[in-house]
Amino acid sequence: MGKPTDLVQGTLDLLILKTISLEPKHGWAIAKRIQQISSDVLQVQQGSLYPALHRLERKAWIKARWAETETGRKAKFYSLTAAGRAQLEKEAANWSRLSAAIDLVVEAT
Amino acid sequence: MVWARKAWLRLQSLFLRRRVARQLDDEVQFHLEQQIAENVRVGMSEEEARYAALRSFGNPTALKEETRETWGWMWLQQVGQDLRYGFRMLRRSPLFTVVAVLTLAFGIGANTAIFSLMDQVLLELLPVKHPEQLVLVVERGIRFGNSWGDNDISYPMYRDFRDGNQVFTGMFGRYPTSVSLGYGDRTERVAAELVTGSYFPVLGVAAAIGRTLMPDDDRVPGGHPVAMLSYSFWQKRFSSDPSIAGRQIVLNGYTFTVIGVSQAGFDGVEVGYKSKLFIPMMMQLQMTPLSDRLEERRLNWVTAFGRLKPGIDIAQAKASLQPLVHNSLKVEVQEPAAQHYSDYDRAQFLKNSVDVLPASQGWSGLREQLQTPLWVLVALSGVVLLLACANVANLLLARATTREREMAVRLAIGAGRRRIIRQLLVENFLLAAIGTAVGLGLAFLADRVLLATFFSADSAGDFPISSVPDMRVLLFAFGMMLLTVMVFGLAPAMQSSQADIAPNLKDRAGSGAGGKQVFLRKVLISGQMALALLLLIGATLFLKTLANLENSGPGFSTEHLMAFTVDPSLNGYVNDRAKDFFRRLADDLRALPGVSSVGLSTMPLLQGYGWDNPIIAEGYSADSGQDQRPICDMISPNLFTTLGVPMVAGRDFTVLDTRPVAIINETLARKYFAGRDPVGLHIGMVDDRTAAPDTPNLEVIGVVKDLKYKNLRDPAPPQAYFPYWHDEKARFMTFYLRSRVDPQRLMQAVREQVRRLAPNVPVVDMRTIDEQIGLSLKTERLVAGLSAVFGALATALAVIGLYGVMAYIVARRRCEIGIRVALGALQGDVLWMVMRQVVLLSGVGLVIGALLAFALGSLIRSQLYGVQPHDPFTLVSASLMLAAAAGMAGLIPSWRASRVDPLHALRHE
Repeated sequence: MGKPTDLVQGTLDLLILKTISLEPKHGWAIAKRIQQISSDVLQVQQGSLYPALHRLERKAWIKARWAETETGRKAKFYSLTAAGRAQLEKEAANWSRLSAAIDLVVEAT
Repeated sequence: MVWARKAWLRLQSLFLRRRVARQLDDEVQFHLEQQIAENVRVGMSEEEARYAALRSFGNPTALKEETRETWGWMWLQQVGQDLRYGFRMLRRSPLFTVVAVLTLAFGIGANTAIFSLMDQVLLELLPVKHPEQLVLVVERGIRFGNSWGDNDISYPMYRDFRDGNQVFTGMFGRYPTSVSLGYGDRTERVAAELVTGSYFPVLGVAAAIGRTLMPDDDRVPGGHPVAMLSYSFWQKRFSSDPSIAGRQIVLNGYTFTVIGVSQAGFDGVEVGYKSKLFIPMMMQLQMTPLSDRLEERRLNWVTAFGRLKPGIDIAQAKASLQPLVHNSLKVEVQEPAAQHYSDYDRAQFLKNSVDVLPASQGWSGLREQLQTPLWVLVALSGVVLLLACANVANLLLARATTREREMAVRLAIGAGRRRIIRQLLVENFLLAAIGTAVGLGLAFLADRVLLATFFSADSAGDFPISSVPDMRVLLFAFGMMLLTVMVFGLAPAMQSSQADIAPNLKDRAGSGAGGKQVFLRKVLISGQMALALLLLIGATLFLKTLANLENSGPGFSTEHLMAFTVDPSLNGYVNDRAKDFFRRLADDLRALPGVSSVGLSTMPLLQGYGWDNPIIAEGYSADSGQDQRPICDMISPNLFTTLGVPMVAGRDFTVLDTRPVAIINETLARKYFAGRDPVGLHIGMVDDRTAAPDTPNLEVIGVVKDLKYKNLRDPAPPQAYFPYWHDEKARFMTFYLRSRVDPQRLMQAVREQVRRLAPNVPVVDMRTIDEQIGLSLKTERLVAGLSAVFGALATALAVIGLYGVMAYIVARRRCEIGIRVALGALQGDVLWMVMRQVVLLSGVGLVIGALLAFALGSLIRSQLYGVQPHDPFTLVSASLMLAAAAGMAGLIPSWRASRVDPLHALRHE
């Protein structure tokens, strides 16, 4: 049971936090949304979302609530907590710094 | 908020595990449904849609597991698995389990049994408010009056302290004594405590029923016939009668009113003496007849306690009390009895000081008696536990070898080393836990036996010390368990988890692993031998001590000799009436068939009692009060005949002796009449109350051979005997009967004689002198018996360990031995090859053990009698015994090695 590397894990966390920052979503919608926005570049194995979601919930960055979907079925909706919003800002800033740095390195050569 | 949410989630996933897991299933199910619906929408068939959804999702089971892991309780689940697996493994090798559990049970049981005693005797605090503030106030220096104990002071001195001190919030005094209690139609002797009125308020002990004694119950001498009962005595003797307060009881013939029952668990302030009744100090004369002590400055009998004011420490209290003791002593030297003190003595006496001792555990003669022996036993049992741990470690190492393959398989299929170590530790914990549980049971049984040999149960049928483990004992056993797991379990567990995968999964031919393990096991064996030798030497020394004491004898033949004590003063027989009772009883007993001789002595022999009194002698001048004071006794004619102690000069008393006469023993004669014939010369008792006689007035009519007095250990002291009928205050008496038949058969007849003469006078301490000597040696017997058991246990453990290792080594070297034999080695060569290792291992152990014994020997010197801690004979005999046992254990595997059939051994490979 190898753990994902920090980079991958951190990235998935960031994607999840960002995705639900506007409105509460259930797991499938989160996966769908990540795929759509990244224009199918980021092929996240959908199932790996769930360990990440539960881990974030345990860190109290996101909270979950059972509610009905538009089709009338019960689903678990995730939304950001205040701590999660702060974490999102921090991770987003980190990511910008990191990707800018990588851009610099990549374009310099 | 954040932490509350986290905590809630954690608790939910622990206690609502099923629900949370179902929710996760739901969540995943919902996801798949959504994906399938989506897939159908883009045109796939139902079947295709399902497969596509599953493909893009991944393995649901694995992912769910990964998710559950984030809940944080995986370890608990795994511990559960480990426990189940551990149980299965232990069940699969029952022999190993039984041996390991029993070994641990003996080790832990021995320690728990000793700790349980030590805890109660040495460590437990009094069950009162703030016991740490309690102190004992004692007088240090020389005394000329009488003393009931080194830590007692006189009642007037207690009063001086109580009224004059600035350092205590309160003081109280107490004195333990037996009284005769009549209630209903039964009269019995019970342990009571005379207490000052401040006792309960200062201790902070409340009443469970009625009220406690208060200062107003202790004002007028003889004026407060009230008493309190202890809780346990109220339960046992009064059947927990809720309306006991106000009832009447009869104490020593006086009617008393019960005013209350003390709080549960409180039995007085002396460990080893359970007070059943609490009686005001002012009733002293009624409770201990013929001895009016309340105004007596020259008699120390009250144990005085104080409760320190907050912020005052012991040193401050001591300094502040010193002027008080000085004033008290100045009053004392004004008394008439002090007139004959020499100027030197008086100056020394006035220098007496006060000492203040911590008393959070109360005071206990039992503690002083048992302190050193108990520490010795704690040390011995600790060594046994170490040995037990070494043995179990050895067993585990052997087991680890047989499980190498299992470990390798588990490592190969992906178990982490930490997980394996944990699994092994859990198994060890299981072993230790079962061992501890069995050990606790053994400890309880052992303590019952020990208590029964050490204490005689009182009339209420209970011992002053309990064998039922309390919370502290349970905690101790638990701690022992953790410790043993650490000691015996960790190293083998670490080692097995390092098994090499490849060679173990292959056929195990010539497996090279385990060299280090064998070395570790050899070290353990030598260590065990050393510890076993240490215990054997200790056991031999203590057994010799006991034998020496028994052989030293009291100075007279104990065969067909019995004794009992009566105290008719508790039933109102005093002075002439008591003397008359004694004479008539002696006559009646002498007339019993089978009785050959009867003798009476006021002080019972060999029970630790002693009445010492300074004497003066004709033609002898004392050198500055440094003398050992002679032991005095009031006796009847024929006591020496009955005991079988010969007169070496002069004659015995006869009832016709009406003049003041005395008999002395050889030691006293040597000391006070060196080189002279004492018969016809005079001695004089220095009286406590009046001035000393100017001239010795007691004629010495005989000299008797020495006999032991207080106990068997101390050599015979100087002794002086006087006729009991000259005593103005006859109280209690011990009767000695020499018989022609087994004394046990006389006891019933003797009781009947006493009952016929005085129906209400209880007969106490009736036993043969052999039994009495046994009782006086009970501490020595306890230590000797237990150390012998520990020594035997240690030897057995060490020998079993040695056998196990040698058998293992031989099994491993089977192939090599086969080759040697094939190449022409003789049976004797092979035998010696293995035995050499046995000799080496035990030899190293014995040398280390001997060095240890040499280093530690002086620690037990005070407990020995007639044998030195470094006694070479003991060392040699213990070593030989152990070496012989080790040799036997080693011979079996060696012999087996020598019988190895080369063909068989090689084919097996």
